[in-house]
Amino acid sequence: MVNKRVTCSGCSLLCDDIIISTDGLYIDEVIGACLKGKERFDRVSAKNRIFNPYIKKNGELIKTTLEEAFEQVFKIIKNSTKPLLYGFSTVSCEAQLKGMELACLINGFIDSNSTICQGKVLNTSKETGLTLTTIGEAINKSDLLILWGANAAESIPRLLNKVLFSRGKFRMTGREIKTLIIIDPIKTASFNVMGVRDVALQIEPAKDIDLIRVLKDECCRVNSFPDEGVAGIDKNDLKRLLLHLTGTENGIIFIGQGILNAQNGNSVIKEMLELIQLINAKHEKGRISAFMLGGHYNMWGFDHVALSNYGINHSLQFTNQQLTETSDTIISKIEKDDFDCSIIVGTDPISHFPKQLSKKLISKPLILIDNTKTATFHIADVIIPSTLTGIETDGLAYRIDHIPLNLEKIINPPKNILSDEEIIKKIIRNLKQG
Amino acid sequence: MELYKFLPKTNCKKCGKPTCMAFALDLLQGKVKVDDCTPLLEPKYKKEYDKLKELLGAEEGKEKELRIDVDEELCDGCGICVTVCPVNARYCPPTLSGKAPDYPPEKHQLFQIKGGKCELLAIKHCRRIEAEGRERECRVCETYCPREAIKIDYV
Ligand code: SF4
Ligand code: SF4
Ligand code: SF4
Ligand code: SF4
Repeated sequence: MVNKRVTCSGCSLLCDDIIISTDGLYIDEVIGACLKGKERFDRVSAKNRIFNPYIKKNGELIKTTLEEAFEQVFKIIKNSTKPLLYGFSTVSCEAQLKGMELACLINGFIDSNSTICQGKVLNTSKETGLTLTTIGEAINKSDLLILWGANAAESIPRLLNKVLFSRGKFRMTGREIKTLIIIDPIKTASFNVMGVRDVALQIEPAKDIDLIRVLKDECCRVNSFPDEGVAGIDKNDLKRLLLHLTGTENGIIFIGQGILNAQNGNSVIKEMLELIQLINAKHEKGRISAFMLGGHYNMWGFDHVALSNYGINHSLQFTNQQLTETSDTIISKIEKDDFDCSIIVGTDPISHFPKQLSKKLISKPLILIDNTKTATFHIADVIIPSTLTGIETDGLAYRIDHIPLNLEKIINPPKNILSDEEIIKKIIRNLKQG
Repeated sequence: MELYKFLPKTNCKKCGKPTCMAFALDLLQGKVKVDDCTPLLEPKYKKEYDKLKELLGAEEGKEKELRIDVDEELCDGCGICVTVCPVNARYCPPTLSGKAPDYPPEKHQLFQIKGGKCELLAIKHCRRIEAEGRERECRVCETYCPREAIKIDYV
């Protein structure tokens, strides 16, 4: 039994301080990881793990051999002219690159989960500019943390532990010098970590944009404060918020799902990024950065791989084995019924998508590459099981703050189960051989 | 601290304790009796004296033990308690940057996260037992747990 430090692939924080004791065959003990991370390690032998390839025959899923499953995949792809590839935020960067190669080969449309999530912020930043920061900086240097529509305590369990409670190299005091501001319409679990100097702002739902506009307006003027509140926040709280924003040395705004949701509209992201740039331009002694909170452990990987290989960060459409310009996203593609089969990798669109979209997805042949039985598993036409990256396979992943980290292989995968990368490689090989 | 509210809060030291707060803490643990605070016996504190007697009831003067309960159901292993506890900070350097302490645990370490849940290791090094003065009033683990899973109590 040896103890070693490994990186957890339970969520996008990719904590690199997890200690596991293992004999090389099984993971015995997981120390330091939160419950979510522990569940990730437990998936190795979880009840809902997929251990076999399946194909659907007469409406029923039956176990099959890898050869037969690949055969079926080959047939589906051969018969298709407009395939859709989706998912890829819980696989390694290597597999993402192969996925794009496959999309290119079969003239498909490939997209990742980040399109309908934090990828929007990255897209918008092309117009406005973006100030980023790293977790290390948040730990050691930050003095103001704003959770905006982000319930960090739920989605990324150890984030607050790291950025808010750690003492840091240069300050040693930690919590005492860091001010926390939470802007959220509902009282989430994150509200419980508030100290006496922190500010809790319960904003009215979908009114974020009004608040941002007032802040943009006021932060340009010295010593001017609004006479009235906005969006359910009274004028005293507004003044405190403004003073913090303009007085911080190293502030971080955590952009959560709460702002990205549809009722807030798309312009809210733009205004938010503009606010940050505006404050930074005016600011003499400090700066504010944005920190985008997304959950899947390699969500950013897809954006970076696509950006460095094809020049755009998501929604890649290939025709005649060339990248072509498109304004489509995975959602609009499905809405318009502009596809004839789908290849889903490591995600569960049937549970995440609205019902009409799910229905359309189900109506065409669906190939699933995944390791866990989800709702999508039950409606798929072919299922190829994959290994758990970061446990059974090594690979590269981008952390939440865009830092690439290597995930290690800890134990051997079960017999006859390939990694996502190997599966896609094999599909490509089969197609090339005809 | 409910008991503290009813003390004279003058920090006169007649009870032999440095502050009224320290006295209140010992009162809670049954190490001293209400009557040890002589100023309380004066007529102007009659109401407070009676209230304290009523609050403590038959429990007065019975030695009590510190208990820190972690509710396994509520805890999600966020590790905030591991990082904020000043004893951990002192003996486990990785916690200074929010990292998990080394394993096996250092002998003073109070909390560790194992199997996704918080585990209390050695209560005897808790500041409420070992430290002196104001440090004895520590309860940051209870205050900052986002799940409200930690309860500090004397039984
Ligand atoms: S916060 Fe995320 S990366 Fe860290 S231990 Fe928990 S699940 Fe794993
Ligand atoms: S004797 Fe009473 S008033 Fe004086 S310090 Fe002690 S508790 Fe406080
Ligand atoms: S702070 Fe609370 S929820 Fe977090 S690990 Fe400790 S007991 Fe569990
Ligand atoms: S009361 Fe203070 S010293 Fe005791 S366990 Fe909690 S944080 Fe640590």
